[in-house]
Amino acid sequence: MLKKEQNDLLAQTGPGTPMGRLFRSYWIPALLPEELPANDCPPVRVKLLSERLIAFRDTDGRLGLIDEFCAHRGISLWFGRNEECGLRCPYHGWKFDVSGQCVDMPNEPEHSAFAGKVKLKSYPLVERGGVLWTYMGAPEQQPPLPEWEFAMVPAAHSFMSKRHQECNWLQSLEGGIDSSHVSFLHRGDLKTDPLFRDAPGNQYNLSDMRPVFEVVESPGGLHIGARRNAEGGRYYWRITQWVMPSFTMIAPRGGHSVHGHFWIPIDDENCWTWSFDYHPTRPLTGAEVAAMQAGKGIHARVIPGTYRPVANKDNDYLMDRAAQRAGTTYSGIEGFAMQDQSLQESMGPIIDRTKETLVSTDSGIIMARQRLLRAAGALVDRGVTPPGVDPVHQRIRSAAVVLPADQPFNEGARDAMIAQPGVAPATV
Amino acid sequence: MGFGIWDLGFGMLSESARASSAAEARFRIAGGAAVARQIKVVALDPASDRLVSALGREDWRAVSFFTSADAAAGGRLIPNVAPGDLVVMVAAVGAAVPAAALVGRACSDRRVPTATFVVRPPSASDAALSKTLAQVRPWSLMLLILSDPTYVEDILRSFR
Repeated sequence: MLKKEQNDLLAQTGPGTPMGRLFRSYWIPALLPEELPANDCPPVRVKLLSERLIAFRDTDGRLGLIDEFCAHRGISLWFGRNEECGLRCPYHGWKFDVSGQCVDMPNEPEHSAFAGKVKLKSYPLVERGGVLWTYMGAPEQQPPLPEWEFAMVPAAHSFMSKRHQECNWLQSLEGGIDSSHVSFLHRGDLKTDPLFRDAPGNQYNLSDMRPVFEVVESPGGLHIGARRNAEGGRYYWRITQWVMPSFTMIAPRGGHSVHGHFWIPIDDENCWTWSFDYHPTRPLTGAEVAAMQAGKGIHARVIPGTYRPVANKDNDYLMDRAAQRAGTTYSGIEGFAMQDQSLQESMGPIIDRTKETLVSTDSGIIMARQRLLRAAGALVDRGVTPPGVDPVHQRIRSAAVVLPADQPFNEGARDAMIAQPGVAPATV
Repeated sequence: MGFGIWDLGFGMLSESARASSAAEARFRIAGGAAVARQIKVVALDPASDRLVSALGREDWRAVSFFTSADAAAGGRLIPNVAPGDLVVMVAAVGAAVPAAALVGRACSDRRVPTATFVVRPPSASDAALSKTLAQVRPWSLMLLILSDPTYVEDILRSFR
């Protein structure tokens, strides 16, 4: 449990809040490149960290992420004309470039210099590894571009999707570092999902429902090791990586691709769930990409033209009680992604953590909260750069390994937890 | 699926949409579930005594604290510890902690879950950590390796 003030602090990420300042220390995913597919394409409304913004790609292909509303009369620039290297408000013709600078003010006297004195708030928007990233903090503290391995491998090696999740970012993240729910909620899909099935390690998950956990602080966040019994007195370890503030990487299964998430606050009651799959040493196959596009693995089918899942709260997530009874799915909801999202949204927009009853297997969640609270406090009080900003903290991997019983996972899998170009992931 | 009045017209909400709204959160049962958990915290070595003893002087509900001297006198400790719903052992890196097996075995026999917090100062070596882990791992369902002893209190406070 948390005190109410701790819960509020962790949940709120708007401007000026401690967690808002923390999130504004990082490059965060903002859009998929497909949302701005061509020069002078329609602009896109973006809300991140409780700030309303507009994204556009100008005539020269430059990317802009600026205040959504015209400086003149507050018109949404979503109605704007994206033309001739700027976004022009349709009300009186004021035009803004990708930096937010007003470059034309046609309803002012000719040769007026006033346009040069009007500038909308803007943030950098940079394409890397199949994601348009933004940094919403102080310009003088902008960190190096992100170096997550999925964003550094050739494009054919990776796949990224996003979906709208209608609840606070933290309860979504906490699902990503809660390894103990997999043996229950997802047990049906381990056997059937094309991106998970047939991995030798799956048998350990299904035969040992009570894993033993070890949680170790890492430079960027936590290593969370879940240990299950394997043959010959050895242990099967699944090592999840959490890097602040909201990156998780799930242990791989057999020869399948590696995957994980970011949870990025839209506002305090909504977030984007970003889901990546990649393989460090080979391109994804056509069948794998087709499965990901079809919502298999950790991805979800979305309503065409939107990023809202087809199964959502308005249709009770397509609950199938017969499948639940038959054990085809444990919860009655189809697919890993919506199994998680349905339960996390059922907690309400922001879960009241003063009422929860945590047990020892929740220690990863408890430690993550404590690290976030301390990092936010250190940033606000002393200006300490939080863990996870340094690209070194991002060059990590999850791992699945079988180790001798007396070997700590963070020793036995030390090399496997570091991203090394050209080296295959450690997996069972 | 049941139908309510909210299902009867355009724009009406499904049960899940209505139930997970902020408006509906007002009607959740006030207060948490009734939980009568007993937590026992045991220092496994003299280096952890100071930390555990200091915690014991603070205000806790249903949390009891025991020193390494209590642990060494296992016969007297076990009747106090084993009835707990969660036993937390605290160890310092590099320490010899034979009491881990004593407490852990008693908890295992009685199906009491155990968590062990190993406090690792920055100067501690991997070898020293491994030595301690080897002693506590067989008896810990949850093992946390902590860089800062103040985490111990924060984590304990998380268990209502």
